[in-house]
Formats: sequence, C-alpha cells, structure tokens
Amino acid sequence: MRINPYNNVKYQWAVYVVFFIFLACIPTIVGDDVFLLNQLSTYGVYGILALSLSLCWGFGGILNLGQGIAFGLGSYGMAMTMQLQSQDILEDRIPPFMLNNAVETLPAIWEPFWNAGAGISLALIVPTLFCLIFGGLMFWGRVSGPFFAIMTLAMLSAFYTIFIDLQYLTNGVNGITPPMALEVGPYLVDPYSSVSFWVVFVALLLCTVVAKLITQSKFGLIVQAQKNDPERTRFLGYNVALYETIIYAFSGFIAAIAGCCFAMLTQYVSPGQFDVGFSISMVIWVAIGGRASLLWGMLGAFMVQGAQSYLGDQFLSTWLLILGFFFILVVRFLPGGLAGLVEVILGYFSSNSSGTKGSNSEPKRVD
Amino acid sequence: MAGMLELKNLNKNFDAVHVINDFSLEVFENSLCCLVGPNGAGKTTTLDLITGRQAPSSGKIILNGVDITGKAEQAICRLGIGRKFQIPAIFRELSVEQNLAVAHSIEINPIKNIFSFSSKNYKTKMDEIADKVGLSHRLPEMAGNLSHGEIQWLEIGMLLMQDAPLLLLDEPVAGMTEGEVSKTVDILNELKKIKTLIVVEHDMGFVRRIADVVTVMHMGSLLAKGSIEQIEKNQEVRNVYLGTEDE
Ligand SMILES: Nc1ncnc2c1ncn2[C@@H]1O[C@H](COP(=O)(O)OP(=O)(O)O)[C@@H](O)[C@H]1O
Ligand SMILES: [Mg+2]
Repeated sequence: MRINPYNNVKYQWAVYVVFFIFLACIPTIVGDDVFLLNQLSTYGVYGILALSLSLCWGFGGILNLGQGIAFGLGSYGMAMTMQLQSQDILEDRIPPFMLNNAVETLPAIWEPFWNAGAGISLALIVPTLFCLIFGGLMFWGRVSGPFFAIMTLAMLSAFYTIFIDLQYLTNGVNGITPPMALEVGPYLVDPYSSVSFWVVFVALLLCTVVAKLITQSKFGLIVQAQKNDPERTRFLGYNVALYETIIYAFSGFIAAIAGCCFAMLTQYVSPGQFDVGFSISMVIWVAIGGRASLLWGMLGAFMVQGAQSYLGDQFLSTWLLILGFFFILVVRFLPGGLAGLVEVILGYFSSNSSGTKGSNSEPKRVD
Repeated sequence: MAGMLELKNLNKNFDAVHVINDFSLEVFENSLCCLVGPNGAGKTTTLDLITGRQAPSSGKIILNGVDITGKAEQAICRLGIGRKFQIPAIFRELSVEQNLAVAHSIEINPIKNIFSFSSKNYKTKMDEIADKVGLSHRLPEMAGNLSHGEIQWLEIGMLLMQDAPLLLLDEPVAGMTEGEVSKTVDILNELKKIKTLIVVEHDMGFVRRIADVVTVMHMGSLLAKGSIEQIEKNQEVRNVYLGTEDE
C-alpha cells in the first residue's frame, strides 16, 4: 500500500506549523514599512476568507458564491462599532454622515454598537445567524449544487442593493469611514502598526486550527460523506440538511471574522464588500490554490491577490482576462488546483523512493 | 403474532401510472424474505416506500407496531432499517475504513460529532465486520477503487456498522462472479441468524440458496407467497416469471 506523504495528517500539521512560523516572521522582515505591513495584513484577511470557502466548498461540497454576505455583515458591524467609539453617547450621538442625511436621532439598530463588546459580538453573530436561517431554509428544501450557488448569488446582490439603498443607516455607496482606530480597553489597534498584524495573525491561526480540527473529526467525516453521496448519508440516519447548515454557518462565521479584521485594518467599509466580483474572486483563489486543501486555499488567495496588486496595475483591465485564463486552465487541467499538483508530485517521489530504498510498507518487487 | 414489518394495502402512482397496486406483506423477525419478480415489477419502489424515499399514495407501513408511513428517510433509518441500493451507494472518495466509520451512526448529533476524533470505541466492531465481509485487507483503499463485488460487500458491511435489525438489500449479487455469489450466500446465511432481511433478487438460483420465504411481485401486486418449493410449483408464477426458463 503506497501512502502519499501529502495525505499524512502529521506531515500536514507540520506544514501548517512551518507556514505560520513563516507568517510570524513577516513583521521582522518588513521592518518599518508600516504601509506594506498593513497591506500584508489585508492578505491575512483574504487568507481567512479563503479558509472559510475551502471549508464550505472544497470540504463540504457547498459552492457558495455569496461568501461576501457574511464578510460584509461582519465588516459593517465592526465599522459601526468603531464609528461609535469615536463619538460620545451623550453629546455627539449621531455620525456625521447621518447628519448630512438629516437623521435626527440615532437609529435603534445602531444603539447596541455603543458597547464595543456587544458591537463586535453582533458583527459575528448576525452573519452566522443569517447563514443558519438561510442555509437551513435551502438545505431542508434540498436545494443544492448549482441551485444553491445561484441562490447565494441572488442573496448577495440583494444585500448589495439594500446596503446602497439604506443611505441613512449605511451611508449608501460611500460607506462608513470610522475616523479612529479600534479601541480595545485602553489600547488602540493602530492599523498601521504591528499590533493589527498580530491581531489578524492570531485570527488566522485560530480559524485554521479549528477548521483543521473540524475536518479531522467525525463531524468532518460525515460532511465529506454527504458531499460524496447525500442520499447514502441520509440512509445511514444522518440529517444531512443539519450537517450542511452547520458547516455553511461555520464558514460564514469565519468570513465574519475576516470582515471584522478587514474593517479594523482599512477603517473603511462600503457596499463593495458585497460586490459579486469580490465573492467570485474568492472562489477563484480557492480553485487555483486547491479547494480540497485549507492551506492551499489560503496560498491561492495570497498568490492571486498578490499578483493582482503587482501585475493588475500594469495590465489594467487585461488582468481580469489573465486571471480568467488561469482559472480555466486550472479547472480544465488541474481540478485539484495547485494542491492537486503537489499531491501528484509528492506521490511520484514517494513511490519512486520507496521503490529504490525498498521501504517496509511496500513489498519489494522481484524483477 | 404480528410481524416485524407489515405493509398494508400499499399503492403508489407516478402520475397516472400505478406502480404498486394494493400490495401487502408481512416479514417476521430473524427470517430472510426474498422479494422476486420480473424487471419493473415494483420491487425497488417497494423498498423506496418502506425507507421513506417515496411516500405511498395510500396504505400503511408498520415497523414493530409503529406506523412509519411517510416519515423522513433518516427518521426511518433511526428506527432500525438499513438499506443497500440497487446501484451500490458507497462513498467513493473515502477509504473503506472511512466508509465503515461513517456508517457507524450511533451518534448523529453534529455538535457531539465535532468533538469526536477517535474511532477507538468502534474499532473492534469495525475490524470484525470488515472481516465478515472479507475486506480486512482493503481498509486503507479508496472505496472507488474496489471491484464491483467488493463494493457490494462494503455496502453490506456499512449496514452492519449501522446496526439496524432490519436490512433491505436490493439486488446484492448483481454483476458478481460465481465465486463472489457463493461468498455472498455465506454472508447472508450467517446474517439471517441475527438480522431480519428482505432481499430483492430475480436470480432464482440465488434465491433458492438463501430464502426462508419468497414473495413474488408482478405488475405491482402480490402474485404468490410461500416457501421456495411452493413458489417453484406455482403455475401462475411459472407463467409470468419462470415460464421463460421452460420455454
Ligand atoms: N420515479 C418514477 N417515476 C415514474 N415511474 C417510475 C419511477 N420509479 C419507478 N417507476 C416505474 O415503476 C415501475 C417499477 O419500477 P421498479 O420498482 O424499479 O422495478 P423493479 O425494481 O422491480 O425492477 C417501472 O415500470 C418504473 O418505470
Ligand atoms: Mg429494481
């Protein structure tokens, strides 16, 4: 029996450790360039998003073209919290953009965000709850595959429009620009400092560890089983809709964490978070990296977004064509993404080396 | 004495087509009942009705005295019915071992399963079952790479992991070699000591080697019922079904 080292759980964890040690070195490498550090931290956010999508799509088989919903809701929740942190609950209750819209009392929906703890909790709970309800409705109705993908896309467009339309609550297309960095107790999380980098780093680390553990649990096994054959899974007694809803909502929760980090880093949110193009590019990151692998999903995000910031400027609108070309190339020739390529290469080397060294797991062939 | 499973006057229409017509059946504990009949007789549909994959147009299905008509698939399964599909349904992208692990569905609560990382408490059972269906040496293999016969056995093994007292097997020996059929006969004869089975099959040779009782279906209705000797003597059955062998 040949065992590909790619599938060895211990090696996988080792690779994750190396990956995070490398990420942890970034502030030292970057040094004083706080703008670069801020940009790299945003990549961390993309990494969290990619992770959430690999979990839902690559692992659970639920193609979600609307991951921007949870991301956007999370980022708005955080931005609202930060906005109110810069105001005074007694004297200066109303954000400037609302005054411009002739709003005289703070809308009730904003009230809980005076308290940072409550605000951030809402930023995470609301998107998760949305996913639970929306996912529950869809999965109990046995909506799956491309139909589910289209529903998420429709939902995403609806959110986009709603957030533009509710001008007095969201400042429409202009979005919310909190003037101050996030305050946590007495500390300021300056987006242009290593503090915010470490916040994103810890968020990415925790999400990765929890996601990886979930994939290795019995729950994860059942999620994989329902991706393979939902009917069989149902006939073994599992409530497939429940499992789908939970993995979808958990993925939404992770995307909401990414949203919070994003608002913290950029001090700016806009309906652009609900942009259809952005949610689809998440799918592209994960497809190119390898959707079955959490790590490669993240690497896909780094590569595509990195290429976009450096090459996108040179190629301008041709960039989308180039990206589309790579996407088609991967879908056609590398259905497992770059991760699939690595798996094949490792498999090739391991079977070669066990052939020459005569490893004890494989009986020696007598020629 | 009432049987473990009772089907009472089942009917099923697909639009205007009557697929099952007033079909009744009683299955007793620890017996093996073969459901035979020509292609299109409605055998698979009957299993669909029992397992909740389809709801009957009318009629009742009673399991151990409980009415299960129209319940959801997973609910019926939890009441103790396991099913092997006509087109074998296994998790092709998972290993044989993982297939058996998923089938161990004692705990279905997703939250509890998130915190479950070890197969220790069912490892012995898994090894025993893998041994029983002859797949011990194939545990790490991807299930999609198994041979046709092995896939059928894996699915039977999964039903055993699931631990349902009533097993419904839809054409378990379809596409098997003679040797594999014999091995399956041994497995089933072993199983019927501890389980109640309904086996759908139209190969009479196979039926003869396993059945306690035989039920013949034709055009969605009960045609005959009895021991294999009685069925083989039955003139009506010979006409619609076995007739082809003589002519
Ligand atoms: N979903 C369906 N819609 C319409 N007709 C169906 C459906 N399922 C089965 N049938 C019809 O019901 C009849 C019985 O089918 P089936 O139960 O599969 O037979 P068997 O398993 O005995 O060969 C066939 O004529 C088939 O065409
Ligand atoms: Mg059939």
